[in-house]
Amino acid sequence: MDYIFVKPGMSPKEIVQKVRELPGVCFVSVGMRDAGQSDYKNRLRIYDLKTLAPYYNEMGLFASECHGGARWHVGIMNRRESPFEEIAILRELMPNVLLQTLIRETNMWGYRPYPKNIIEYVVEVVDIDVWRCFSFLNDVRNMRPVAEVVMKRGRLFEPAISYTVAPWFDTKYYLKVVDEIVDLCGGVDEIVLCIKDMAGVGTVSSVTELIDSIKQKYPDLVINYHRHITDGLAIPVLLAAAKAGAKIIDVEEDTLVRFYGHSPILAVEAIFREEGIPVHLNRKAAEQAVEKVREWIRDYDWAESPFKGFDHMVTRHKMPGGAFPSSFEQAEKGGFLHLMPYILQVMSLYNQIVKYFDVTPGSQITWVTCSGIVNRYAKEQGEEGVKHVIKLLKKFVEEKNQDFSAMEPWEQEELLQLFKNAPGDFKNLILGHYGRMPVGWPADWVYQSTFGDEWGNKIKERKESSPVEAIPDEDLTALRKKLEYELGRKATEEEFILYLMHPKDALDFIKFREKYGDAPLYLPTKVWREGLKKPGDKVEFIYEGKPYCIELVSIGVENDGIIHVVLKVNNKTRVFEVKTPRAKKEEVKKAVRPNEIGAPISGTVWRIGNPKRGTLKVGDIVHKGEEIANLESMKMENPVLAPFDAQIVEICVRLNQMVEEGQLLFVLKPLENNANIENTGESNIEKLPH
Amino acid sequence: MKKISKVLIANRGVPAVRVMNTCRDKKIKTVAIYSTPDRLAYHVFLADEAVHIGEAPPHDSYLNMEKIIKVALEKKCDAIHPGWGFLAENADFAELVEQAGLVWVGPPPEVIRLMGDKIRAKKIAQRANVPTIPGLLNVKTVEDILKWMQEDEVDFPIMIKAASGGGGKGMVRVYTAEELPVALEKAKSEAKKAFGDDTLLVEKYIRSGRHIEVQICADKYGHVVHLYERECTLQRRNQKILEEAPSPSISDDLRQEICFTAVRLMREIGYHSVGTVEFLLDPKTNKFYFLEVNTRLQVEHGVTELITGLDLVSLMFSIAEGHPLPFEQDDILPNRHAIEVRINAEDPKTFNPSFGTITRLEIPQGPGIRVASGVYEGAEVPSYYDSLIMLVMSAGADRSEAIRVMDRALSRGLRVEGIKTIAPLLLSIIRHPDFIEGKFSTRFIEEHHEELLSMVKEKTADDEVLKIAKYVAEISALGPQDWM
Repeated sequence: MDYIFVKPGMSPKEIVQKVRELPGVCFVSVGMRDAGQSDYKNRLRIYDLKTLAPYYNEMGLFASECHGGARWHVGIMNRRESPFEEIAILRELMPNVLLQTLIRETNMWGYRPYPKNIIEYVVEVVDIDVWRCFSFLNDVRNMRPVAEVVMKRGRLFEPAISYTVAPWFDTKYYLKVVDEIVDLCGGVDEIVLCIKDMAGVGTVSSVTELIDSIKQKYPDLVINYHRHITDGLAIPVLLAAAKAGAKIIDVEEDTLVRFYGHSPILAVEAIFREEGIPVHLNRKAAEQAVEKVREWIRDYDWAESPFKGFDHMVTRHKMPGGAFPSSFEQAEKGGFLHLMPYILQVMSLYNQIVKYFDVTPGSQITWVTCSGIVNRYAKEQGEEGVKHVIKLLKKFVEEKNQDFSAMEPWEQEELLQLFKNAPGDFKNLILGHYGRMPVGWPADWVYQSTFGDEWGNKIKERKESSPVEAIPDEDLTALRKKLEYELGRKATEEEFILYLMHPKDALDFIKFREKYGDAPLYLPTKVWREGLKKPGDKVEFIYEGKPYCIELVSIGVENDGIIHVVLKVNNKTRVFEVKTPRAKKEEVKKAVRPNEIGAPISGTVWRIGNPKRGTLKVGDIVHKGEEIANLESMKMENPVLAPFDAQIVEICVRLNQMVEEGQLLFVLKPLENNANIENTGESNIEKLPH
Repeated sequence: MKKISKVLIANRGVPAVRVMNTCRDKKIKTVAIYSTPDRLAYHVFLADEAVHIGEAPPHDSYLNMEKIIKVALEKKCDAIHPGWGFLAENADFAELVEQAGLVWVGPPPEVIRLMGDKIRAKKIAQRANVPTIPGLLNVKTVEDILKWMQEDEVDFPIMIKAASGGGGKGMVRVYTAEELPVALEKAKSEAKKAFGDDTLLVEKYIRSGRHIEVQICADKYGHVVHLYERECTLQRRNQKILEEAPSPSISDDLRQEICFTAVRLMREIGYHSVGTVEFLLDPKTNKFYFLEVNTRLQVEHGVTELITGLDLVSLMFSIAEGHPLPFEQDDILPNRHAIEVRINAEDPKTFNPSFGTITRLEIPQGPGIRVASGVYEGAEVPSYYDSLIMLVMSAGADRSEAIRVMDRALSRGLRVEGIKTIAPLLLSIIRHPDFIEGKFSTRFIEEHHEELLSMVKEKTADDEVLKIAKYVAEISALGPQDWM
């Protein structure tokens, strides 16, 4: 039997119709994206994930979530894989499967709100079939640019409501969000609605009630329920969702399931079947994929989160499954892993004071703000101090019901210090830079605590508009030029998009790949991470149809920061000189500012000054066009001329010193009449609001 | 007639290797000299014997005349071949060699001296009715230049040249009167440093000019034969980087005229050995002007060898031994097109020299390719000497075939890693439509530099897998990395 019911190339309307016609439910496999994000810090490599593709191709999935979220950024930063390569590989191996991304409305796959022209430009180019798009504020206005381009391209738009359980986020609230979504998308026939329960806190009754109410109002709306498993109660809730009318359920390979991801595909299929809900799934292919995972999953032990086990307290602190491992990683690197339980407690109180949804970038704002508060108390007053602030917050939230005036004066004083070191993104959030907050702005004391005396003015600055309208378009041509300047060559379309999302990391990525080629795509994970261990160990692969073998001959002893590694590459012996971190770093200071004069070429400084004046010294006045030094290289002379009238502040080289191109030679101070030279500021993508 | 059975080669790198190969063919024993940083250089081991000549600076080693002659005598050599560069055009050295009773494999010292002085050379050319570029000889001050420009109605740009110059050193192009003082200083100082003589001349700069040079071969008995011309228009910083023969920019009539003009001049000055007369062709008027005589074997002699089938180094030895030329002008029948590129160890973006160890070297092979390499895989390229590490030549029945062969040599054959070379730029040049059509001037590279650099680099699976191997090597040595 052929299980393929939806395929790339179908119109959104056709896809939605096919799902409606199913007698029961179908699955999205998040095995290639969210599974890895939740338990493995997004480290699962396409080299391994692609082994599942042939099974996915026959499984009859609604879609494979294989793209977006933090997988994009971690891909270029840690796995050194480009999301474009991943799409190309998967398209070839599973042409039957709809590829799905997760995109953060105005933040897309980066961490700052992008202007409309960048959103449109990027969405236009990325070859994805299903666009699951969410707003951590449920500010549906922010989705418009993505929705418009996706729908115009004839791809399926899947708006998501960020979902959590809290008294102030009641069914009425969510229905209003659904109304706005249906309105934005011009009805229910060309979209799938996702309920994104990113922390996994929906209960049987809350989810039943929500889906039931949505279905009553929009009987034809196809609903996809996405729920993490951290609380340990996911499967019953998935069942409840299906019974209430959800048509699509997110699952992952049983062998990938740990504690923060999604429910096991085979188990969910089994319970649904037992409960009489038909599941559209080629179970045999699903079983094979589950088996396949075992072949490589043990290579990722190192990437697993240090705290293993379910955590029903997630219903209070609401840290989303996708944020767990990366938060632990940061805590471990920062040396405050032992403070995690306190941080989670502070989060559960904080999210009652500042109300939004803990999903990117909200979850990062919550994390940085709360871990910052705990770390500050721990540093100033030790663990007792941390306990003290939790007690204070508990009193404020639980006993006094957030009535600021009911607190004692010294407690008020302390609360007014709570957010004084809050991160910039927290400030941007409460000033409306990300959009409207879901159930209103925080209380005034939060502003007072954050901004001090400025707070009144800051509240006046607060924006009610969507960042989509507020952020001016950026000059794409100039940005591309900047990238090409950095690369020293033309950039491909894909490189440019990577750069638009993460300028610095994209450059590192491109440079890494220029140096190491396709190593991330061809090396098995063990070799990728640890290399070859002992002489005779080898790695074999096919490159452009040709067989290659890299065999370790020997690893030398470190000497002066250098290790010689001998490899046989297709039987030809090659010696590689590897610099260790102890290798001498010769730091050469480069001229960067307009008043710093760099060497035009590599060569020897054989004259400082010029024949007419003789040697120059610090304090001398030089004139525009005057020769101030001369470099010799390959017997050619290269005068260095003063670019403007100036006084010499510093001479950074000695006579007869070898210098490299761009090396700092002189620091000049422009004479008054052209003092503006020092202030030629240029706009820089990283300086824009994050 | 004096038979040469052992020769000292007063050079290093590509020229030394080139000369040694012919010596091997002629059963002439070779003695190499080397400076301290060159002790593991290719030419040292290719020679039959080698002698350490001094420290790195050229004045202590490859320009140390007394020492070189002393070594030649000690090693019982009959002759000294200077290659090109270093002492090849040094008349004093040629004289010292002859005074020591050795054979100087090159033209007569007095001719070297005469032609080495650009001002006197120009005067002789004028006397021999060879057209010369309007200019002012022996310039001292900015005022001299401005006065001459006014009197002779010459406009900017102009070119300042060292009277005893060559190889682009001491040559400065000037576009405005404001640049003149700095440019004059620069030329003077470079000339002094490179040639020990800061006499300068200035000439009108001919825009879009093309460099055409005629290869001459003459014996000691007054027979002067030309081996046709070479086109050397493609230059960067006044140094040639690609040469070809025959020239794609002249008609057969013009070819005959230029070649016979060169023969006339060389006969006039009493030349023997091989040598070159350089001309500048103004493509707008089809007029050509005398530039200089190169009294030595030139880097690009190989393209002439490829089109004529002759061995110029072998001819130099025969002429030096006193043999008459074994052919007449009518015997020289070029029947192919040849191109040479210079593989310089330089950054193709900035032309800054690139020094270090060659970690990977693959030399092009296959039909139509000739390579003269001064290095090997693992060799060091020291910072003291010129950046030429290899010459790659291609030949074909016509120009487009020669270009195709060169494309294969550069894109699929040549691989140099560890140092940068200008090979990617050269590949872009031979693929550029203007080059293919033969439309270019001495400014082609400056004008198209950006575009030439942006052309896509060709990748092969082998190259890519070596990058992967590099990664494997690093991780194997260093273990898992923080950034993972």
